[in-house]
Amino acid sequence: MMNTIWTIVHKESAQMLRSQRGLLWLLAFSGLLSAFSLLLVSNTELSLLDNAQVVYMMAGTVLAAGALLSAILGSDAYAGEKERGTLVPLLCAPVAPSALLAGKAMGLLAAWGVMFAVATPYLWAVGASGQNLGAALFYLALFGTPVVLGFGYLAMALSARTGSVLASLLSTVTLLMLAASPLIIGPGLRGTAIGRALDAVNPFAGALNTFDSVIIDSDPFSAQTARLLLVIVWLGLCLIAARRSAARPDFQ
Amino acid sequence: MKIRKYLLTAIVSTLLFTAVSVSAQAPVSLDLQPDGKNPASPVMGDHLQFWSTITNTGTSPIEGLVAWISLVEIDPGNEQPVDLEDWSAHKAVTGASLGPGQSLRTDWPMRLIKGGDYRVVVSVTDRNGRQVYTSPTVQFHIRQKPVLQAGRVLPVAAGIPLLIVGLMVFNKAKQRHKRVFSTHGQVREG
Repeated sequence: MMNTIWTIVHKESAQMLRSQRGLLWLLAFSGLLSAFSLLLVSNTELSLLDNAQVVYMMAGTVLAAGALLSAILGSDAYAGEKERGTLVPLLCAPVAPSALLAGKAMGLLAAWGVMFAVATPYLWAVGASGQNLGAALFYLALFGTPVVLGFGYLAMALSARTGSVLASLLSTVTLLMLAASPLIIGPGLRGTAIGRALDAVNPFAGALNTFDSVIIDSDPFSAQTARLLLVIVWLGLCLIAARRSAARPDFQ
Repeated sequence: MKIRKYLLTAIVSTLLFTAVSVSAQAPVSLDLQPDGKNPASPVMGDHLQFWSTITNTGTSPIEGLVAWISLVEIDPGNEQPVDLEDWSAHKAVTGASLGPGQSLRTDWPMRLIKGGDYRVVVSVTDRNGRQVYTSPTVQFHIRQKPVLQAGRVLPVAAGIPLLIVGLMVFNKAKQRHKRVFSTHGQVREG
């Protein structure tokens, strides 16, 4: 069982570092972070932002990019295998559906880990002279991982259920755009009753609010427990959905 | 006779002094004050506002008045005039005319770009006059805050994408090498 999972993990994670496709994604991701950093340096208005504010903005960008990658890889997990004609042989192989799901999820985690590693120097570059850089990295890992993995599980559930990469990708990315809207709309607009209600159930907003709380306001861990619970519930629900869909994937 | 001579000299001197004083009196009075809402201890990125009042104290109108604001850094060893390019979009008032006794009140907003000690002053001249009149200076200190350091950002922003491109090239070369190697193997087996 473990060997099977490791084989799948190895195959999935190799896509990120060994395939040109994965490296191209990493190049696009680093290009995004480079452009963002250079914009911060070259623009007078932005260059006067506090270090902590910049680290918060960059952590949010890394989280959004991680969730997007997760949605893409998750959508490809079952429907991609089906479209390439490799799903039926995979289902006929002596691999338990849960092992297949675990292997694909760990491959996705490895991809997120690589993205995290690429993002770390950027966070250091913009935040080393300010406050709470260590806390930023810690909370990005602690809150980012369940949020990213949750989107991956959701995409896998839709991918296995619909059997279409396009349908799964469109649905997950649309949901991601809705969830990531707090990145674009300011805290003022989110201060309304509807905004607060959405924040209370949105795991992405939960992670962003935690970044704001720990990086800018230097709040302690105890102030983050409710939000941590929110992202763990999100991960749990997405995992349940993925397990149910992966048990009977659409292969016809 | 001697007394008369002394008296005459005294009268002439007094008249001359009065005439010189009147002619030396500036036809413009200038005042510069910080806005009451300015932060007491401003930090980089804050906005400050200053108010200048220019009054025509002369008897003839002032035409084509030009008033401008100047900023000077006065940190020890770093005394220099500051280019207001990034600090303020409102650097001058031009073309105004002021009748005798009239005043012109102008606000001078400023965004604080760099930490240190500074002195701000407003200067005025007009189309016909050859004099430049300056206001009293206002001095303030800007507290430093941690902001982005370009020297740290640039190597990372350029280096990471280059590293990934290098990895792509390395992977491509490795794959080509592997393909060539396997082709040679097949030829030998054949």
